[in-house]
Order: sequence, then C-alpha cells, then structure tokens
Amino acid sequence: MKQKTQVADIDRSLYDFRFDEDENDFLDSGITPEIIGEISDEKGDPDWMREFRLKSLEIYNRTKMVEWGASIEGLDIDNIVTYIRPKSRMNTDWDNVPDDIKNTFEKLGIPQAERESLAGVGAQYDSELVYHNVREEVAQSGVVYTDLESAMHDPKYADIIKSHFMKLVPPTDHKFAALHGAVWSGGSFVYVPKNVHLDIPLQSYFRLNAKGAGQFEHTLIILEEGAYLHFIEGCSAPKYYEAGLHAGCVELYVGKGATLRYSTIENWSKNMYNLNTKRALVQENGRIEWVSGSFGSHVSYLYPMSILNGRGASAEFTGITFAGEGQDLDTGAKIVHNAPDTSSYMNTKSISKSGGKSTFRSAVTVNEKAVGSKSSVNCESLMLDNISRSDTVPVIVTKTDKCDIGHEAKIGRISDGAIFYLMSRGLSEEEARAMIVRGFADNVSKELPLEYAVEMNNLIGLEMHGSVG
Amino acid sequence: MANTKLNILPVPTFASLGVNYTERDISEYEIKDVTVSDDDNKEIVQYIISDTITNITVDTNVSSKLIQIFDGSSQTASRLNVTLADNARLDLVQLYLGGDLVSEIVTELKGGRSAFTADIAYDLGAGEGLDLNLVANHYGRKSSSEISVNGVLREDAKKTFKGTIDFKNGAAGSVGSEKEEVILMSEKAVNKTVPVILCDEEDVMGNHGATIGRIDERHIFYMKSRGIPEEKIYELMARSKLMKAIRLIDDKQTKIKIYETLGWGDENE
Amino acid sequence: MSELLKIEELSAGIEEKELLHGITLTVDEGETHVLMGQNGAGKSTLGSTIMGSPEYTVTGGKIYFGGDDITEETADKRAKRGIFLSFQNPIEIPGITLSEFLRNAVEQVTGKRIKLWEHKKTLKKSMEALGMDSSYADRDLNVGFSGGEKKKAEILQLLTLKPRLAILDETDSGLDVDAVKVVSKGIEEYRKTVGGTLIIITHNAKILEELHVDRTHILSNGKVVREGDGQLAFDVLAEGFEKYIGEV
Repeated sequence: MKQKTQVADIDRSLYDFRFDEDENDFLDSGITPEIIGEISDEKGDPDWMREFRLKSLEIYNRTKMVEWGASIEGLDIDNIVTYIRPKSRMNTDWDNVPDDIKNTFEKLGIPQAERESLAGVGAQYDSELVYHNVREEVAQSGVVYTDLESAMHDPKYADIIKSHFMKLVPPTDHKFAALHGAVWSGGSFVYVPKNVHLDIPLQSYFRLNAKGAGQFEHTLIILEEGAYLHFIEGCSAPKYYEAGLHAGCVELYVGKGATLRYSTIENWSKNMYNLNTKRALVQENGRIEWVSGSFGSHVSYLYPMSILNGRGASAEFTGITFAGEGQDLDTGAKIVHNAPDTSSYMNTKSISKSGGKSTFRSAVTVNEKAVGSKSSVNCESLMLDNISRSDTVPVIVTKTDKCDIGHEAKIGRISDGAIFYLMSRGLSEEEARAMIVRGFADNVSKELPLEYAVEMNNLIGLEMHGSVG
Repeated sequence: MANTKLNILPVPTFASLGVNYTERDISEYEIKDVTVSDDDNKEIVQYIISDTITNITVDTNVSSKLIQIFDGSSQTASRLNVTLADNARLDLVQLYLGGDLVSEIVTELKGGRSAFTADIAYDLGAGEGLDLNLVANHYGRKSSSEISVNGVLREDAKKTFKGTIDFKNGAAGSVGSEKEEVILMSEKAVNKTVPVILCDEEDVMGNHGATIGRIDERHIFYMKSRGIPEEKIYELMARSKLMKAIRLIDDKQTKIKIYETLGWGDENE
Repeated sequence: MSELLKIEELSAGIEEKELLHGITLTVDEGETHVLMGQNGAGKSTLGSTIMGSPEYTVTGGKIYFGGDDITEETADKRAKRGIFLSFQNPIEIPGITLSEFLRNAVEQVTGKRIKLWEHKKTLKKSMEALGMDSSYADRDLNVGFSGGEKKKAEILQLLTLKPRLAILDETDSGLDVDAVKVVSKGIEEYRKTVGGTLIIITHNAKILEELHVDRTHILSNGKVVREGDGQLAFDVLAEGFEKYIGEV
C-alpha cells in the first residue's frame, strides 16, 4: 500500500522578517537616460562609467528577450525600483551600521559567521554595500576586499576595474546583462596577489529588503598567478507582494595556476526573479570550482560559465536545485574548452516538489584548439510527486576528435524499495524520504563549509517535512 | 518552400549553439502511409532517396519492424511519424550511409505498454552531414522507449543528434533510455549531442548516456597487444558500430545491398 | 514457550498474480525455523510480506506478532515491534553513511537519543567482532559494497538493532567461506546476546550446522508442502527437493 505524504511549504519565517524603508529614498521606477544619469551623479561615476551605463541602456532597449527558459511574464521591469540609496555610507565598523540594517544581518548571522570562520565579510543591503571588513592579517598579505565603487575611485585600482569591468560579460551578452551594465550598484572587488593562499573563506551577503526593488550588484574577483581563494556568496530577501528582480553579475579572473572556489547558497524569497550572470576566465593550469545551491526565487536563470583559456585549465561545477511550489528554476552551467588538455567535471542534482519546475540546462563546448580535453557531465533529477516537473536539456558540441566526453543523466523518483528498506529498520515514511533526499543532495553539502552545509540540510529538512511531524 | 524550419528541438536552448532547429529548402515531400494491423508486416524495408514523410501506425497487440536506409549522396529530408496503440511495438532500424541528411522521428507512444526501440547507425565522410531529431512522446502507461545511436565521423563530417524523451503526465510506470556513442576519426569533424529528457510524471525512469571521442586508450592497447594496428582498430570499431544496427535486419537481400554500398564483401569479412 | 509469530491462511501477490496461497505457520519465542524451497517457491515473498513490503499485496489471511494483528501495519511499525529482515539484495542508498543510518534506525526502534560518540564506539566494537573493516561505517550505505560486505552490513544491523524476530533471507548465499563464517558468527552472537527468534531462508547446510534448528518448513509454489523438525532441513539439503516435494 502506498501512502502519499502531504508536505506543506517551507517555513520561511526566518528569512521573511523585514524593516520599513523610507519612501524618500526611492528613485522613480522605470529606466530612462535621466535615471541612469541620476545614478551616475549619486555615485560620482568617472566619465567612462557614465558613458558605459548609457551605452548599456541603449543595448538594453534594442535587445530582445531570451526565447528559451522560464517565463518572466510576471516581471514588470519598468516598475522595479532599480536603485535605492541606503541610509548609510560604507562602514568597516559594524557598530556604525544603522540599527535596522544591522538587525537584519544580525538575524541572518552575518557578523557572527565572520567572527567564527571568515577572513572577511561584505554585506549588501538593497543597492549598496553597507559593511565591509577584512581581517588585518589578510589585508597585510596584499589581499584587497572592498566594495567595487570605492575601488573604482581609488587610483590604485581604477585602471584594473576599467580594464576588467564587464569584459567577460559584455552588455551585449543578453538583455539582463545590458540592464545590469546600465544600473549596476554595489558589489565586491577582490584582488588576491601572486602566490597568496587564503586558507579561510571571504564572504559576501546580499539582502534585498525594499519592496519591488532590483538588486544589481557586481562582483569582480581577480586571482593572480598561484593564488587561492574561497569566496562565499549568500542571498536572501523577505517576501513582499510585488516581485523583485536580481540581475547581478559576477566576473572571475583566475590566473595561471590559481584556484578559485566560488560557493553560493541562494535563498531569495519566492517572488524574486533571479536572472544572474556568472562567468570565469581560467588561465593555464588554473582552476575554478563552483558550488551552487538554488533554493529560493520564483524564477531563476542561472548558468555559471567557465572559459578554460589556458592549457591544463580545469573547471568543476557542483550544484543542487530544489524547486518547490510556485518555483520555476532554470539552472545549470556552461563550459567552454578553449585550450589543450583542459578538463571539466559537472555534477548536478535537482529536486521537484509540490508543483515546482526544475530545468537543468547545460552547454559543454570543445573548440578546435582544445586537443586532449576531457569532460564529464552527470546530472540526476528527482521527482517527489506527480504535479511537479523536471526537464533536462544538455548540449555537447565538439570540434576536435582528440577529446574524451562523457555524459550521464538520470531522472526518476525515490524507489519504493529504498523506502521499504529504511522503513524495515524503523524509520517512518517521511523520515525515510527526507533521509534519501538528504543523501541525494550530499554531493553539494559535502562541498560546503560545515555551517553552510548545516543550513542547507535545514532548508531541505524544512522543504521535506514542512508542518508534518 | 525555402528555409523551412525543420528538426525543431521541443524545448529551445541557448541559441548560440545552433541546435534549436535547422533550415532546408523543401520543394515537395513524398508521403507514405502505412498501418500495421496484423503480424504480416513483420519487417518493412524503406530506402529514402528523396524528401519523404512516412506515417506508420501500429495497431493494438501488433509488433513491427521498420528498416530505413539512407544511402543517397544528395540532400534529403525525411520525417517519420510513428503512432503506437495499446501493447503495440515498433523496432526502428536506421542506417545513414552518406549524403547530407535531415531526419526527424516523432513517436507517439499513445497506448498502454506500447514499446519503441530505435537502433540508429551512421558512417559519414567528407562533406557529409546528418541532423537527426528524435522525439519519443510517452502518453501510455508503462510505455517504453529505448534509443541507441552509434556512429563514426570522418574528415569534415558534421552530425547533430537531438534525442528527446518526453514523459507526459499520466504515463505512469514508463521507462525511457537513450544511449549515444560517437567515434571521431578526424580533427575536422563536428559533433553535437543534445539528449533531452522532459518529465511531467513522477512514476517514470529516464536516463541517457553519451560518450564522444576517440577510442578508449585501454581498448586500443589491448587490441594492439594482440597485433592489430591502430588504423585497423578504428576501422573495426567503425564497422562494429554499423553492425550493431545491421544485425537487426532479417532480410538477407537488404543486408547484401548494404554491404555493397559500404564496399564490404559480407558481414564476415 | 509463547507464540511470537503466527501466520494464518496468508495469501499475497503482486498486482493480479497471487504468489502465496494460504500459508499457515507458527513460530514460538526463542525458536529457530528454517524455510526452504526451490527458486520461485515463495520464500522471499513470505519473508518480505512478514516485514510489510508494499511490493506485495495481502489478499487473504492474517499475520500476528506477539498476539497483535499486524497484517495492515507499515514496515516501520513492524520494525519498532522488533521484526527484522536481512534483505537478500540490500538496497544502495547514496549520500547516507552506514553509521548515520544505523544511528537513526536505533533511535527510531528504541525511541531514545544516542550520543554520537557512544554510537560510534558500539558500532566500532560490533564491526570488529564481525571482522568488518571499520572504514565501512563512513561509507554510503551499501554503495559499492561487495556482495559479502553488504551481507555483513545486514548482520551488523541485526546485532545493533537487537530485534525479537530476525528473518534472514539467503544472507549466506553467494558468499565465500570466510564471509559465511562471519554470518554464522553473527547469528551465534545474536542468539547468545539477544536470545531472539530466527527464521532462516537458505540453501546451505553450512550455516545451520552450528545452530539448533527447531522446525523446518518446505515451500513449493507458494504453499507449505512439508514440515518437520530440524533434521528435515539437513535431509533435504543432502537429498534434494524432488523427493520431499513429490510426496505431497
């Protein structure tokens, strides 16, 4: 006899608290050259950036919406407030951060996490970075971790920013990249000098608190030859009636023999449109490791791209997507093999429940020059009920013969045999299902720092158990 | 019609990859309708030499086998529509022996326990191309599809295989699998593989696997250690890929004709 | 001795196909019973049905355990009552370690929280007693285990969960001599420390040699066709089934 368990929606109350914003802080909704000009004025943009924004707006206006992927019909961009000026300027002392903003992050455990296990923390509240701090010993090694806007104005970094900003993800890439180029605000700049290994991770935290707002932070990370960095990104937003938009952009430059690990746990509220673009350029023997957990958002388009540009460069992508009620999460990864002896490995899991839709979408391209390259893609999808949906759309393109490409995908449900086996040892059906799902997600949780793995398991537990038990 | 969009991927993806559809000029299709209602039509052999649409319906409790051979050197577009009733079965064998081909197979597994297998093999050389779009739509409960695509690309041959298994809601107990092996024998060959699974039903099992590249070094070493030179190893592997499909053909005359086209003496050569 | 398991006119099957036709048998507390029969006779079906596998539907009859009717109970409830099935083909569960799984199971069955270090200590001891490599504790449950390791892991679970009734479904089949010894040792340990009741499904005399078998039941085509004392099991194994099944 089979019993179906009715499982309620995740209890998001932990993330759903919010504070009032002051109406005066908003710029007009919608995007015009005037608004872009106001953003530039407000930020004191250098001329090149002022032009860059206006040019991006032009591109945005003439670029068609993408024709594949999840529906973004519910998104009214003209009514998304693009820029909200925060109540405070950048702080490096937590005590100076305004109380309501501070409370938000305290609740999310940000400064606490910093004290315990991080080398540095950046916290973005709506459009601006409100807090940034790095440990002294880290700063002394020459590591720079600051907000992108300060860096842009600092003569030491201005040229680096200018020569790297939106070079990997040009505004012409797609409509939301163009939008990002026009209205970007806040975000982090990280520079790790040659041969510097950061043993403890840096973290940034994004929080969208205002109603109907957009967050467009830009993350730019440069690792010089032989450097090592683990960067952790966390995102959340409280639930409002109006949809929010996150169109961030992440550009990662991984130098010769350097390794960058980029971990994300995304838990935006379930009316967010998360249209984020992430890209890494990896040089000779360099390595990019992506760890990505997608739990939140109403709609997501997220395909971190790794361009393996130097001989021996490698990429690893480990991801999990959990689509629950009302969610349409279109996630995956892109890998371009552009040099000899490059290798890539992709291991993803997706779970669909309570009418959620999850799409795994990938593209592995092995170009003519990528002789001797290897790629292995493995994706598994789990359907937890009969009203959900799960699609797998991978593409592999090879333009050289001297390569070794493997691809495997599986889709299915939890086997009755596995549930019976666990139940025969005393676990209830719900516990058995939750245990199997946790095991299914193990590929990602074991790649995360302990406290994040615990948080992720809690998220899965909440999704699986809901109000049951 | 000029620039007719063909082989449309059921779920479009990144446009830059060029796999969402292909375009051809089509003047006229030859249309063939076949209904298999008893076991008399055990094996149907069809040579596709001009643009053709084939509609085949297999009735309840009937099994049939369809052999399609593409040995033309011209541009040919083919579309095969398969409809399977309750407990109906179609075993499809397709051989692509040359030309510049666009081929589409759409199978509607309408009936409960209907079954579809496809064994597809190709051997493409200089200037040749194949754009293959296979869609298996599972509607019936406990329906099954098993798709196997094997082949070799030589010189500047180009091949795209898009294979979609679509589990519609209600197709409980269905299984679908897709396997592809591509052997690349030239640095100029271009291969695109798009194995799609769409799933709107919980109680199903779908899987796909693909391997693309040169022959496994260990296999080469093993065969070399038995005295076989590398070029011969590749020819043997290429032949074995085709033989996998040819072996499924019952009719002797058809086999002989295929060996002639391939320039083989016989299967034992 | 008191009656532990009573099966009354039990019929069960998959979908429309009935596999067990009116089986009746009783096992008293502390006894050891052997269930024999050719492949497809219904031994595993009976074992799984006693455990409450959803794969089989009970179409008639009753199963009582300790006097209670458990015919409709789910497998976890039966496990909590003290029924244990050593699976013929233990399921692989990726992502969950053997240790983590066992801790969960023990907590469920006993209803008590167990401290992690305490659990690890007892587990290590049990594994050593069975001659199991203790690194298996941190490997995913049954994933990539050899046939022998899977069966040893089942015995490890038997010793950890300490059930009142253990059904061993061909736990000794396909194992090398050393592994069979481990399984025998495990059963002996279970008898000694827990004093539990056993139903053993086997084709192998080796595993029975060290045990006192109280009763033998021979199944054929989903029916009990012959019953006898412990000696019957050895006679069948020595002379083959034909003779015994034919006499009915």
